Amino acid sequence: MFALQLALSGLAQGAIYALVALSICVVYRATTVVNFGHGDLVMAGAFVVYVLVVLAGLPFIASAVLAVALLFLLGVLIEVGLIERIKTGPHIGFALMCIAIGYLLRGIVRGVWGREVLPMPRVFDFAPVMFGDLVVTADALIIFLAVGILLMLFFGLFYRTSAGRVMQAVCQSERGASLVGINVRAFHGVMWGVGAALGAVGGALVAPLTLLHPGLGASFLIKGFAAMTLGGFGSLGGAVVGGLLLGLAEQWIGGYVSTKLIDITAYLVIILVLALRPSGLFGRAIAERV
Amino acid sequence: MRAYAIPLLALAIPLVANPYTQFVVNLMLVYVLVAVGFNLVLGNLGQLAFANTALFGIGAYCAAMLMVHAGWPFWAVILPAGLAGAAAGFLASVTALRGIRVYYLAIVTLAFGELLRWSYIHGERATGGTDGLAVPRADFFGFALDSETATFYVFLLIVSVMVKAVSNLLRSKIGRAIVAIRDNELVTASLAIPTGRYIVLAFTLSGFVVGVAGSLFAVLIGRVNPESFGLTELILHFAMVLVGGLGSLFGSVLGAVALTALPEFFRRFPGLYEMFFGGLLIVFLLVQPRGLSALAARWWPALRDRYYRED
Repeated sequence: MFALQLALSGLAQGAIYALVALSICVVYRATTVVNFGHGDLVMAGAFVVYVLVVLAGLPFIASAVLAVALLFLLGVLIEVGLIERIKTGPHIGFALMCIAIGYLLRGIVRGVWGREVLPMPRVFDFAPVMFGDLVVTADALIIFLAVGILLMLFFGLFYRTSAGRVMQAVCQSERGASLVGINVRAFHGVMWGVGAALGAVGGALVAPLTLLHPGLGASFLIKGFAAMTLGGFGSLGGAVVGGLLLGLAEQWIGGYVSTKLIDITAYLVIILVLALRPSGLFGRAIAERV
Repeated sequence: MRAYAIPLLALAIPLVANPYTQFVVNLMLVYVLVAVGFNLVLGNLGQLAFANTALFGIGAYCAAMLMVHAGWPFWAVILPAGLAGAAAGFLASVTALRGIRVYYLAIVTLAFGELLRWSYIHGERATGGTDGLAVPRADFFGFALDSETATFYVFLLIVSVMVKAVSNLLRSKIGRAIVAIRDNELVTASLAIPTGRYIVLAFTLSGFVVGVAGSLFAVLIGRVNPESFGLTELILHFAMVLVGGLGSLFGSVLGAVALTALPEFFRRFPGLYEMFFGGLLIVFLLVQPRGLSALAARWWPALRDRYYRED
């Protein structure tokens, strides 16, 4: 019973990690840029929700939708205004740019809110649902519902529609895609927006559950990377499965071994996966031939 | 003017400095070593790594623990601190080489750094937990570092020797191989240069230099604690290397000297520190991606990066 209860909260946490990992993965697959500042975009999403709910008094759902829209815009702006401009430079420039953007966002949030840690009022105040002895909290239910719908929408769009086929084409070959008349530049901007918006959904879902502070971004980033590593770097489905498994692992290790270890589960996962199976669960083995 | 004129001229600094400015100058020397070591990986190897503060921390903690728990004198802990940093650099890069290189070197070093900070916090008995360790008064072969001026001369000696060593290294076969990997790993490998081994070597050497810097830092500040080696510190290291000039040894010196004193000004306003350094990096990436050293090279051609091709 204890194991099952832990599994439930692990999966709820894991659903958030899955969303964060998926959003990093989308940008990576579409543009080959790994956004090392992505955690701070998630954090920014959570903060926008906080501001709208607590300071502007908007209802939670409206704030979440607004925050996601704002972050989508921010993502597009980052791509068009900053990433696109250093395209001709060395590849390490992208990574440094992403890091710089992340720190800038963190600084802005810290500057506005100061050093305090912010609790948000509870949003979903329904009684928890009982299945036998199993307690399912309202938060967990909302997270499952939101993430489930979002994932179905995303994967349906990616694999079943013609817009999705365009995305797949650009992911496979930028050159080929631009030859058949796809506007690759616009596509990159949109995908940065989608990545940031997906991250913001994660942030919005997390906002009512945890204490908010500007340093949250770094931990999201590492958890997202751990989920991607576990699932196979660059695999969209792998990122989701990896996220869920990471959430489970954290709760079980925390429950049965020591709660101190929850903080470092993600790092241990990264190092273990690389030592035992570098391509992850769903990644293809990478052959580097010379 | 030759490069060794710089440390010779620096010998005169104590004549004009008061104890506080002297302390800042000493801190600059520490950061010169940090930036030089980091630049080996970031600029010369062209590889993103997040472990630099971790390596810095390992050096500092190794020095502090040997001095506090084992009672070793300062001069005896410098080498072990460097070796500890080198071992950490080795471990992080060897693990990372198993995945997609470009990204996993970055991801593993990020995880590694946070893992270490966690162990500083939870290893209370050895590391003093969140409070850290107070470092006892140092002496260098009987020469007590009891004033900032005395510390300055010892640091200047150590830093000059190390920078000269790195400069020689960069001109050697190893240095050329490392730069070749940055420019094109595939071509380098096809020339029968074992790229994986050189990547690990670059990380190890960088770890050694930064580890030594850590031991100097521990002695200069007089205390080590986990907060000194977190992500806030990391942006400073990134900024020093990028503002100075990626891949330029002189640039690292320039970047460290230019930025060391700045964090002090931002302490009073939360967030300003991160905003400033994030913004600084963005501006340099957009406007002057080769850093200050490339600007300086316009007037002083001897500084031109020998390996960098303008294209």
